[in-house]
Amino acid sequence: MERLKTALSYILIVVIILSLAVVLILSVGSDVPKSFMSFFRGIFGSLYGFSEVLVRATPLILAGLGVSIGFRTGFINIGAEGQIYWGAIAVTTTAYLFPGLPALIAIPLGIVAGFVAGGIWALIPGYLKARFGISEVINTIMFNYIAINILGILVRTVLKDPEYPLPMSSKLPNGFIFPLLMYPTRLHLGFLIALIAMVLVYVLMWKSSPGYKLRVVGLNQRASLCSGIPVKKYIVFSSLLSGGFAGIAGVGEIAGIHYKLLEGFSPGFGYVAIIVALLGKNNPFGVAAAGLGIAALQVGSLSMQRQAGVPASISWIIMGSIVLLILARSTLLTFFAEKEKEKKV
Amino acid sequence: MSTNSILLMKDIDKYFFGKAANDKVSLEVKPGEIHALLGENGAGKTTLMNILYGIYQRDGGRITWKGEEIHFDSPREAIDNRIGMVHQHFMLVPTLTVSQNITLGLKSEGHPFPNRRSIDEKIRELLSAYDVHISPTDKVSSLSVGGEQWVEIIKLLYRNAELLILDEPTAVLTPQETKRLFKVLEKLRQEGHSVIIITHRIPEVLEITDRVTILRDGRNVATVHTSETGSVELSHYMIGRELKTISRTPNTVCPHEEGLGLDELAVEENGRNVLGPLSLSVRKGEMIGIAGVDGNGQKYLAEAVLGVRDCSAGKVRLLGGDASSASIQQRKDMGLGYIAEDRQNDALIMDMDMRENVLLRMYSKREYVKSGFIKYANVDETAKEMIDTYNIKTAGIGKPVRYLSGGNQQKLILARELAGSPPVIIAFHPTRGLDIGATEFVRQKLLERRASGSSILLISADLDEIFALSDRIAVLFHGKIMAVLENDGNVDVNYLGRLMAGEAAESGSDSRRVE
Ligand SMILES: Nc1ncnc2c1ncn2[C@@H]1O[C@H](COP(=O)(O)OP(=O)(O)OP(=O)(O)O)[C@@H](O)[C@H]1O
Ligand SMILES: [Mg+2]
Repeated sequence: MERLKTALSYILIVVIILSLAVVLILSVGSDVPKSFMSFFRGIFGSLYGFSEVLVRATPLILAGLGVSIGFRTGFINIGAEGQIYWGAIAVTTTAYLFPGLPALIAIPLGIVAGFVAGGIWALIPGYLKARFGISEVINTIMFNYIAINILGILVRTVLKDPEYPLPMSSKLPNGFIFPLLMYPTRLHLGFLIALIAMVLVYVLMWKSSPGYKLRVVGLNQRASLCSGIPVKKYIVFSSLLSGGFAGIAGVGEIAGIHYKLLEGFSPGFGYVAIIVALLGKNNPFGVAAAGLGIAALQVGSLSMQRQAGVPASISWIIMGSIVLLILARSTLLTFFAEKEKEKKV
Repeated sequence: MSTNSILLMKDIDKYFFGKAANDKVSLEVKPGEIHALLGENGAGKTTLMNILYGIYQRDGGRITWKGEEIHFDSPREAIDNRIGMVHQHFMLVPTLTVSQNITLGLKSEGHPFPNRRSIDEKIRELLSAYDVHISPTDKVSSLSVGGEQWVEIIKLLYRNAELLILDEPTAVLTPQETKRLFKVLEKLRQEGHSVIIITHRIPEVLEITDRVTILRDGRNVATVHTSETGSVELSHYMIGRELKTISRTPNTVCPHEEGLGLDELAVEENGRNVLGPLSLSVRKGEMIGIAGVDGNGQKYLAEAVLGVRDCSAGKVRLLGGDASSASIQQRKDMGLGYIAEDRQNDALIMDMDMRENVLLRMYSKREYVKSGFIKYANVDETAKEMIDTYNIKTAGIGKPVRYLSGGNQQKLILARELAGSPPVIIAFHPTRGLDIGATEFVRQKLLERRASGSSILLISADLDEIFALSDRIAVLFHGKIMAVLENDGNVDVNYLGRLMAGEAAESGSDSRRVE
């Protein structure tokens, strides 16, 4: 009975979303079947399209994993965007400092640098929360603006490419650039790293003792304290991990896609990562699935825009509605159950 | 038979994960009757009441309330039909006032902007009618557990409940408070209310109730008139055997070595002294009972020893070494077992399963965690052993402990904290909510630990327990130790009562005796 209700509610969500899509498509005066066709053709129609889904999913999965670790421990990290920026700054700076390194050393070094930089950027609000009880929600948001603007300053000053007038760095030395996995698509090493990270996070959170403690702290701080877990340390630790994975997402975007540091390289990956973590129920495999799903939605919409003239911005409307419906699902279920009963009386 | 009953539950079935928690259970309550529901931990008492109250939906059977067949889908409907329940674990909002808690969820006069003052007045009248000394404007967080219990009961009366269901109300009450509760129940009975009361204490059943229904393993065993039964028969019905009386043998282990020492220990909260300075030395193989009315510093004492609360002065010694600056983890690794008072908040992670709750005490041990990785096979094995030794009723070690019955949650904590033979044990209300069989078992376990040399600090509201187990009794009043008495069988209960009420010790006994 319960299971049937759950299944029905998801089917209802799909129906609502599809109807919403139809209405939106009609409202911009496009042809519905053609739009749907082009949506799916964009995702599955070609190797390139499909690879683009994976490319888009890469930063979403990495940052989503980070956010989910924070959520599990009760560190509400809204600052993945800023941490992504720091990952990007870190890999670029490392590349500037050690341009001659071979790939075998340079790539891991870049990833570690990104992890550390993103981690530290999250660790500051983490420490402020643990030590003084200052809300990490507000701090991490504010830190996003700071990080974005620091990057803006850097690409105009010390990291600027002197040969070009635009505010961006020069191309990374070859050693630091992520190899492509499936030439000629843009799919790069970052995707593999995201998958490895997914497994790592799973092992960390469910098989290791530090991960166990992180989860315990997230569920009951008082009992954690009584059992001897240094709660504050673990909150700080979780902020470090949380920002670290977001940092790697930033590394992937620079070393795998753009090959140079530039403003606006992330179209809000850090914010979408929060949605990814929520939809994935803070479970690493769920996060990966949610990351792929949202990436597919975006890629499909782009194709819909190209082929059927439907503005890609409707993907954002759809995404928002999906999140809203899924989060409201359980509440709605009870609401309808009560309505039904009132009818009976 | 059922002609003059107000409530009739017939052949109620309820299954969890395929296991029957209630198997054709029947219960009949008459108007103006106090009816006891008796049974071991996990017998299905709370489940049966939750079904009546609309929290769970039954899988079979019928319920007749005042001659009408009913089916509640939520507590809201039960309340509308004038059935009220106080849960085993209270459901008040600590940050709200007494009166706000009482009217929570009600559409009071003037809703959504109710007239607080007139509501408060009404509640004040109700409180004084039942002789409860609480103000409607008090914050619930400032109340003792006993106080919260009163708020829960007044909440039901404010909603005009005709049938009151009380799930182990006396587990958290002091003997005096229990007496007052019974007076109120008596009054309610005279006014025509019916009461279903769940308790594990047979003397209470005999004292207050008209009839008793006994459950075992989710089935009816018997329903008897209280006047026609006695404690031997009832315990037989409950656990199928007679209770052994617990006997304590003299401390022969190391009567001169200290296990736990408190040296001029003091605790402050918000700049106010709330505990001590007090000194106490628990020797190896000794159990000291802390007697006192709840809220006289017991919590601060326990927390200061564990280390979750900083002491403002003084020292804590564990096994002869100074542990004052040791972390909680270090104290636990030194061998401190801690049976917490508040099991759901301090001791258990309700949404984790049994194995992960067992791990909470084991994660620093080699056996269970090797180079950072949890050896779940070993944890599982230990958890299963605990289930067997402590007879914990569970649907499986992989199920969240939220689904364990109250007494079984307590058993799990005991099994975990007593594992590995800790040399120092803080037992804070160790048998609260346990059935008589389990209580006997736990007391036996504590005595076993004592016999093998552990130092035990027993903090309990149950004077019988303190008399039965302790070598010495320390009386705590307003955070100070009034006296330490040798429990040689000659302690005058009245004298002890006077000490607990803060009347000074007789000349001759030092108010802070250091042994
Ligand atoms: N929500 C639930 N999900 C799964 N199992 C449950 C649930 N509630 C109760 N049980 C199981 O049903 C059995 C009866 O539980 P119940 O809480 O009714 O016991 P009880 O008689 O109140 O015991 P206690 O005296 O310990 O409170 C127990 O084995 C318990 O584990
Ligand atoms: Mg119960």
